Amino acid sequence: MTELDMIKITELTRNFKDKTALNQITLSILEGELFGLVGPDGAGKTTLLRILAGLLHITAGKVVAAGYDLNKEPEEIKPHIGYMAQEFSLYEKLSVMENLMFFADLYDVDVKNQEDRIHRLLSFAGLTEFKNRRAAHLSGGMQKKLALASTLLHKPPLLLLDEPTTGVDPISRREFWNILTDLHLNGTTIVVSTPYMDEADRCSRVGLMYQGELVICDTPVNIRRLLDGDLIKITTSDWQAAQAVLSPLAGVKEIQTYGEALHILVDSGKKRLPQLTRALKKHNLTVSEARTASPRMEEAFISLINKMESRE
Amino acid sequence: MSYRHLWAVTRKEIQHIFRDRATFILVLITPTVVLLLMTYTLAVNIGHIPLAVLDYDQSPTSRAFIQRITAGEDLDLHARVDSIAEIEDLLILGQVKAAVIISPKFGRDLLSLRGIDLQVIIDGTEPESGGFAVEHIGWRAEAFANEILADQFQMRGIPLESLQPIDLRVQAWFNPGLKPIIDLVPGLISIVLGFPALTVALSLAREHEHSTMEQLLVSPIKRTDLLLGKIIPYILVGLLNVMLIPIFAILWFKVPFHGNFLIFIALSAIFLFAELSMGMVIGVFMKSQSAALAMSFLVVMFPGFFLTGIFFPIASMPEIARMESLFLPGTHYAIITRGVFLTGIGLETLWPNAVMLLIIGTAFILVASLFFKKRLA
Repeated sequence: MTELDMIKITELTRNFKDKTALNQITLSILEGELFGLVGPDGAGKTTLLRILAGLLHITAGKVVAAGYDLNKEPEEIKPHIGYMAQEFSLYEKLSVMENLMFFADLYDVDVKNQEDRIHRLLSFAGLTEFKNRRAAHLSGGMQKKLALASTLLHKPPLLLLDEPTTGVDPISRREFWNILTDLHLNGTTIVVSTPYMDEADRCSRVGLMYQGELVICDTPVNIRRLLDGDLIKITTSDWQAAQAVLSPLAGVKEIQTYGEALHILVDSGKKRLPQLTRALKKHNLTVSEARTASPRMEEAFISLINKMESRE
Repeated sequence: MSYRHLWAVTRKEIQHIFRDRATFILVLITPTVVLLLMTYTLAVNIGHIPLAVLDYDQSPTSRAFIQRITAGEDLDLHARVDSIAEIEDLLILGQVKAAVIISPKFGRDLLSLRGIDLQVIIDGTEPESGGFAVEHIGWRAEAFANEILADQFQMRGIPLESLQPIDLRVQAWFNPGLKPIIDLVPGLISIVLGFPALTVALSLAREHEHSTMEQLLVSPIKRTDLLLGKIIPYILVGLLNVMLIPIFAILWFKVPFHGNFLIFIALSAIFLFAELSMGMVIGVFMKSQSAALAMSFLVVMFPGFFLTGIFFPIASMPEIARMESLFLPGTHYAIITRGVFLTGIGLETLWPNAVMLLIIGTAFILVASLFFKKRLA
């Protein structure tokens, strides 16, 4: 373990009764990283975060986080992390201020600076004018920001966030990520799980989990590069028929469906776009949109997961 | 142990109790309302117990006695019989619930100021009405004997004043109005104070359901601080009940209060500690509020009814039930409430019950903190 490792996971396995939730995961996260965890539901993201928070026993392997061996010191790490559970987990009958006071007490925030700290976090999270409102009466986005603020009271060097923006409107989501970016720039190590690929794109590194395994772990740029070739987006009158027509054509590597639209991975966009539209017209399918686009994280991940699924 | 953590949890829980309507009603309103309801339903149901009487004496005194014991609403003279066999038949047929056998020397013994023998046979399959009959026949017999004694004193020229102190004591001890309510209410208090225990079980389960538990478990709080911080507020609101309910019992039901109120409060606090620790054990094992509720009824409320000696005498229980009743806080508290209310006894008699409550409470809180892990799943 180098001095810069905030988290070092070695061959971590966690079983729930007969199910393997995490299988032989090895991963190091550097100090100051904003690390994104992505993957389908049930891939093991929450289990991994809970283990890092000292909430779950380790079946096998070794996890060292913030300098604490979690096999031996699951309680000792607790004052040094901020953890935000997936569901809203603050007290609805308490006001914003009272919730923050409660957690300030639990984390032994220095009493002299406690009020100052709370006020700074309130303005940081944009909650100052709502400080006397009951948590139950906050919007979803504000609740998430309050939960985040309550995990930051004791200035933890390591922040673990489990899908913090699920079920939040796009504007609140952007605000939330602006706060995370600020924290990241101030040197806090953040591990965040997310179902949104645009959020994964903002991370310094991303790990893709699938069925308890860490499939890939790299920077967003490198993950996008895994898709060699181009992307063509086509919208037609009948996407099922179109998919049947296009998939056997030369140069088509993979077709992903996005509602009515098809995202088609091809070896060369320039060369294949005219060929594909011609093929569709021949089958009397009206094409309302057809253009090339640069592949995003989303296509890269779906492609990776498709490969995993077909491997089985 | 961190007082800051303890106070944080206590403060948060008190805020919850006073802001959450359901919790508020359950801990502060329900006990009094249930006491009222149960007192009325249960007190009305007991009474008019059919009696058989076997009078071997056939003297004016024995006849006056029979008239006296069946004069009230509580016991009815169903049949005069001539043999034990007849009594057996009537008991088997269920036509009477109890029988009184008056010995041949009843009148003579009483008038000559000797002790009297009175035999009461009860239907053991219905111990509640049987026990009720025994108790009431006893009270009546005592009162009757006192009157005869007073007459005899007068006839023999012994000044009545010398009887007075005995008379006063007997009156106070034996519920002179013969109202079952007076006997019932103090026992019921120990049942209705089970509601705070139920709420403490629910409050832990609620944290699990709302996943606030996850946030607590990930914080540096010690588990004993968390559990104690959860119990203390409910002991406090339980004590509010302990102040409220006696006022109700005394003013509304006219139950006498002969004991020391401060000792009553202190013993009640110890009882609440034991009862709430029991609720805490339930809360530790049950992860949903509905499961915690069902389990609370199973191990707190129902045994409170059946095993604590409030309705059914512990002496008539099978050994295993007697053992269990020893470990129920309600058993000891029922003895305390009855003693303090009706007879005015204090710590000199009740200390073994107080010690037992402390032992039970400590044992339960240890079990709770032993099984409460700062981990999920």
